Amino acid sequence: MFDFSVVFDVGVVALRVLMPLYAIFIVYQLYAAMRRRRRPEKPLVTLMNTRTFEKIPVLFWENSIGRKRSNDIVVNDPGVSKVHAVLLRRDEGWLINDTESVHGTFVNGRKVTDRTQVLINDIIRVGNSEFQFLRGDEYDEALESKWFFKNPVNKPAVKSWKLMLMITLFHFFMTVEAVYWNDGKNLLNPLMIFGAVTLANWGLFCISYFILRRATFELEALALFLSGIGTILLARQYEHSAYMQLISTVVGFALFCIIIKLIEKPDTLYRFRLPLMIGAVGLLAVSIVFGKVTNGAANWIYIGPLSFQPSELVKVIYILIGAGALDKLNTKKDLFIFIGFSVVCVGLLAIMRDLGTALIFFVTFLLIAFMRSGDFKTIILAVSAAVFGAVFAIRFMPYVANRFKAYRHVWEYAQDTGYQQTHVLTFIASGGLFGVGVGNGFLKQVAASESDLVFGLVAEEMGIIVAITLALAVALLVVYARAITTRSRSTFYSISACCAAGLLVVQLTLNIFGATDLLPLTGVTFPFISAGGSSIIGCWGLISFIKAADERTYSIKR
Amino acid sequence: MKRILKRSTLILLFTLLFIGGAAFFCVELVMDADAWANQPYNAHISGNGGLEQAGAIYDRNGAALAKTQGNQRVYHEDYSVRAGLLHTVGDNSLNISTAVQSKYRSQLTGYSLIWGLNMPQSLRTSHDLTLTVDASACADTYDALSSYGTSGACVVYNYKTGEVLCSVSTKTYDPQDPPTITEDNESEYEGVYLDHVLSSTYTPGSIFKLVTSVAAIENIPDLFERSWYCGGHEDIGGNEVTCVDSQAHGYLDFQGALTQSCNIVFAELAVEIGSEKMNATAQKMGINMSFEIDDVDTPKGHYNTAGASVNQLAWSGVGQYDNQVNPMQMAIICGAIANGGNSTTPTYIKNGTDDLLKMIGVKKAESQELVNPNTASVLSSVMPEYTFGSLNVRAKTGTAEVGEGKGPNAWMVGFSTDQDAPLAFACVVENAGFGSQYAKPVAETAMQNCARAIRGW
Repeated sequence: MFDFSVVFDVGVVALRVLMPLYAIFIVYQLYAAMRRRRRPEKPLVTLMNTRTFEKIPVLFWENSIGRKRSNDIVVNDPGVSKVHAVLLRRDEGWLINDTESVHGTFVNGRKVTDRTQVLINDIIRVGNSEFQFLRGDEYDEALESKWFFKNPVNKPAVKSWKLMLMITLFHFFMTVEAVYWNDGKNLLNPLMIFGAVTLANWGLFCISYFILRRATFELEALALFLSGIGTILLARQYEHSAYMQLISTVVGFALFCIIIKLIEKPDTLYRFRLPLMIGAVGLLAVSIVFGKVTNGAANWIYIGPLSFQPSELVKVIYILIGAGALDKLNTKKDLFIFIGFSVVCVGLLAIMRDLGTALIFFVTFLLIAFMRSGDFKTIILAVSAAVFGAVFAIRFMPYVANRFKAYRHVWEYAQDTGYQQTHVLTFIASGGLFGVGVGNGFLKQVAASESDLVFGLVAEEMGIIVAITLALAVALLVVYARAITTRSRSTFYSISACCAAGLLVVQLTLNIFGATDLLPLTGVTFPFISAGGSSIIGCWGLISFIKAADERTYSIKR
Repeated sequence: MKRILKRSTLILLFTLLFIGGAAFFCVELVMDADAWANQPYNAHISGNGGLEQAGAIYDRNGAALAKTQGNQRVYHEDYSVRAGLLHTVGDNSLNISTAVQSKYRSQLTGYSLIWGLNMPQSLRTSHDLTLTVDASACADTYDALSSYGTSGACVVYNYKTGEVLCSVSTKTYDPQDPPTITEDNESEYEGVYLDHVLSSTYTPGSIFKLVTSVAAIENIPDLFERSWYCGGHEDIGGNEVTCVDSQAHGYLDFQGALTQSCNIVFAELAVEIGSEKMNATAQKMGINMSFEIDDVDTPKGHYNTAGASVNQLAWSGVGQYDNQVNPMQMAIICGAIANGGNSTTPTYIKNGTDDLLKMIGVKKAESQELVNPNTASVLSSVMPEYTFGSLNVRAKTGTAEVGEGKGPNAWMVGFSTDQDAPLAFACVVENAGFGSQYAKPVAETAMQNCARAIRGW
């Protein structure tokens, strides 16, 4: 008599082994698609030195002109300031703006005081050098592309719907596992959640494809892939929060679209800065007054059955305020507005005792500050940052000390402050490379397993390979955001995209390493996978900056 | 734009740090996954301290020392076997860290880093362990050793193959019914979680004369032509060295001195050989060394007379001063003397560990020369002879003074010279009295039983 249970077991094991490979394949395809449909490397316009007839290609949407080698257009002329002017492209045409140079910038002999339009054949004078403004095709030498944009044209694009199909299939396999490991509860639950996830994902895809007529969907697909995994993991645990998660995804997608629309013209946002800042401070203030203290931090607002963490939204606004166009970046006024705003935000978070978020803000502050200034101003910024650091470290003392007690000694406090971390480690080890199966884990019985400890949950049920792959899928956004930096339509986009990606990585770091005791546990969410409405919405807000930085978003329509 | 790209390298750096951290975590996972997974609260292996799914442990003859029935962990039916092998097999807890059920827990539960704890039952390979010990030999040895009511240890192993046939440590308890140790009964269970065979050191007393003998044979050319006079006590280095009860041994040659265990002769020899050579010999024989036995490192013994006075050097030659040795270490040294100078590393595991390193032969049992082959054969021919039933044995007893008003530790270490029973042993009874009176009967029981186990008669 042949033993059929062996065949069945082999099938289940095979599925578990194939899932990690499939996850790696999907993440690879998503990132491969991000390189497709790129324009070839060609100068947008050309500047010709009227004396030497040397032609300089202008490659970017915003170009700094100056004597320093780090400028986009380098002019070797003692009369030119280190950073002299910025030549930028907008929908209405090419503009030039002087950036506090010593001898000024002139277009057709007229001194530039604010953004001034430049037309083809106009003469631009900086210092003692004069340039004629010519069309891009006047430059006839071949240009070398960066690796990310190499051979982009001749590769066929992976159709977005194919990516979505792959993702839905992955979610389906997870659901099969969840049904298989059903411990006598309603068999339909996982299937219903899978149906809802699929419906929401494809619904959002159709909106993007047919209504917004966007040509690309990779970034959204990545987010939906991750949040779908997070949602299905909830199927065996908190059915209710799975649906909340889906609603948050839809709301997050709406915010994503709104932000992209709002910042379509990078300069319009300048006018909304004050109301945005007031709004952000207001949100934080509201959570101080009405917030409930959860896990030592007063960062939750409860409106009826809905819980909400305002700091997640403030993060998005924070980046909006921090980024700026190249010609405004170096002005001191802008910088001081940003520092002032940072002080208020971090101060309010200190009052809320939200250690994790304060830490994220702090790091983001450092990132933005460095991206903006790069040079001596950073020193001032770093010093002020250190002062903030000291202030909230003291502020958090008893709370911090308690968290640090078990740090790197969790096994000694396994029943106490190290309880969560030791359970995460035990169950990660129990999962092995391929996991014990969706719904078959035990970490879900530990508090916060679906949010702070979700890395452990994924690793236990789907294996460490999937867990690491998903973490890398988020971390690689930095590589993507960096690669498209120079192709962005403004430094406003590149700075915000890099910082948003950086912020996601900081969150990832605090979440994963906090749960596994490489860092103290701070209660930060894993982007998109952790359960929590405001976290999901906040993450969608963050990736909208990356989406906006990709020039394809605005320039290519279906 | 170029400048922004350059500055964004900082963010890339953050990401690289993250990836580095993730890599570090993966290394930690590979190294420690066993320990992480094997926690009593781990519901994947729940019940009986995590042994619900664990495989069985057998002795060399296939008698089940521990197995899982239903969801209960059941130990051998005989009380003496259970108690005697507690420190080798272990109990449901992880208190005895050197026991098989602690060391190889992940093996027994079928844990692997690749499959975690969820390999389907039908695809799981057997994860039973077979030990080299003989249950009945251990039970009889336990009965003999525990009759004194003090702490002690007795180990017998095959110096050709390394198989440990008997390993008993007292005090002990019944793993089937472990006691709750409170402040009230603490003294009754003092040191109960320690396997004295593998984890304790004691003052050696006269058994250390084997080391002094090796040094003497190698460094004094006319050793066997000499004779000494023992008056029971003698002034060496300004202080007295005495024999037991200051009893005079009269005129002695070297073999006589070793047989009579004359302190005066060996104290004089140690002084004559000198601190440097004594230390070199002790070092070579592995007194200050740790031996690795199935992933457990025995504690290092201690012999160091650098800076000692002449009188202290004299006392060190008879195993007093601040000398310390471990029972397993002494058994290994005796095995090496019997085996022509080379040590054989003991093991408790007959088969069952699929230790990858062992399978591909990287982690072979290490052998090293502890005694020069000539010295070993000379020494084994002059060591005191005993007859344990049908076994011919060369051995040395010891009565190690420990001071503090406590009785001396009774020792006996040695080996069988019979080719069909190549066994070496070490036996110590703490605070008991004369080695020949207390350690010898235990050693005799253990050796006879072990010989029966390998001879089959």
